[in-house]
Amino acid sequence: MADALLKVTDVCAGYGRGDIIHEVSLEAHAGQIATIIGPNGAGKSTVIKTIAGVLRRRTGSIIVDGQEIGGLGASDVARRGVSFVPQEANVFRQLTVTENLQMGAWTDRANYSERLARVHGLFPVLKERATTRAGNLSGGQRQMVAFGMALMVDPQVLLLDEPSAGLSPVMVEQMFDTVREVNATGIAVLMVEQNAIQALRISHHGYVMAAGQIVLADNAANLLDNEEVSELYLGTRA
Amino acid sequence: MNMQLFVNGIVNAALIAPPAIAFSLLFGVMRFPNFAIGGYITAGAFAAYAFNVQLGLPLLASAVAAMALTGFIVWLSDIIVFKPMRGHGPVTLLVVSIALTLILEHIIRIIYSAEVRGFDIPLQRPVKFAGIRITYEQMDIIALALAVAVATHLLLRFTNIGKAMRATADNPVLAEVRGINTGLVIGFTWLFCGALFGLTGVLAGLDLVIEPLLGWNLTIPIFAAAILGGIGSPYGAMLGAVMVGMAEELTVLVLPSSYKVGVGFMIIAVLLLARPHGLLGQPEIRK
Repeated sequence: MADALLKVTDVCAGYGRGDIIHEVSLEAHAGQIATIIGPNGAGKSTVIKTIAGVLRRRTGSIIVDGQEIGGLGASDVARRGVSFVPQEANVFRQLTVTENLQMGAWTDRANYSERLARVHGLFPVLKERATTRAGNLSGGQRQMVAFGMALMVDPQVLLLDEPSAGLSPVMVEQMFDTVREVNATGIAVLMVEQNAIQALRISHHGYVMAAGQIVLADNAANLLDNEEVSELYLGTRA
Repeated sequence: MNMQLFVNGIVNAALIAPPAIAFSLLFGVMRFPNFAIGGYITAGAFAAYAFNVQLGLPLLASAVAAMALTGFIVWLSDIIVFKPMRGHGPVTLLVVSIALTLILEHIIRIIYSAEVRGFDIPLQRPVKFAGIRITYEQMDIIALALAVAVATHLLLRFTNIGKAMRATADNPVLAEVRGINTGLVIGFTWLFCGALFGLTGVLAGLDLVIEPLLGWNLTIPIFAAAILGGIGSPYGAMLGAVMVGMAEELTVLVLPSSYKVGVGFMIIAVLLLARPHGLLGQPEIRK
């Protein structure tokens, strides 16, 4: 297998004095989807925020395409080809839909119109509502703006924090389809999901987190078949 | 209605509008009300005085130089005073900013004394039209206020840095995540707003007199205009400036003119009770 595009090794991070995540190691490969599942408070979002540079790692290394990005701030991480979609407050509410997408293209304004067309192709409603302020959109449409912004660059790594949160079942399906579509273009996707079963179904790899640590790493199909995982984290006990 | 009062109100509004826009922009990005604006404006007026009277430059060149110098001073005030205090609450920073305005004012007082001064400009007869009296300086003030409003609008809507300012004001963490260097955006915002405070110092010096309390006396109406429009909203600040500027002059019809300075306070008090997010502001969403 080719080298991982994103390689996280023994990363510790947290807020204030304590660490929330302990010695987390994981990988994401080009053209593949990796998903982190686990109970609330396990530190899943903290992992993804640390990779994105929103939170600085205390120890450990985060390598993207062979370059160390651990310790960089969020805007520098973005410039290294890592595109992050936060779970909350993930649009500029006062800016119009199109202005949001322009902000998405901040680090790379080449091919702006082609990328805009691509995002409009994925989410046609964003074209219809181009001049609406993002704050006035529905939750689902806001999620599309957030996702669309992240696709206004050609990221190497796409980080998604609960992309299905707050979406209707139909929209969840659509969102996962879009993730798969985007992934098929060769982007490495790492996502955190509550919707564990659906997420694992489109994933290649899965990581199970509990209490700030990765307790299990396997390919996604195996995790779906793993009885212990099903019982504890997927809620599928018959 | 007394047309002269109306004209006075427009001039007053034009004087208040640029600093109210700057105050609002600065609040949007920095999230605290910066009461050092009085000190900044006074610094701008004296900078222009130094270039114009002491160095003998023409007024226009002096005004441009004063805007640049004030922009620099205001930017420096962030680096020296506010930057080390990032992470403190808005109330702490507000108190610090009041201290800063006192310091700036007294530095100026030490150098220039409390003496009343004016620019070196030829005296011109005011223009009279249909019984209304307006000076050339006042016409300049109105024209420049309009120019500032248009320029700010163009900046915020159509330039990358302007959009980045709005994005940073809206959601600084997301701005960083999208690759915007918010440190640079913040630096630019201080510089730009500083230049507007400098301009206000020049215009106030033209319309009033140059003295160390010049900026302080304008602080309350500026603040009132900014919160009337909805603090953090530069367009609201323009609207607020017109309303406060007019209200201050028109109350002369019903109240002795010595109460004029209280109008700003009244507007603030009523607003905080009735509509705390102002006319065009967005209600604060707290989780």
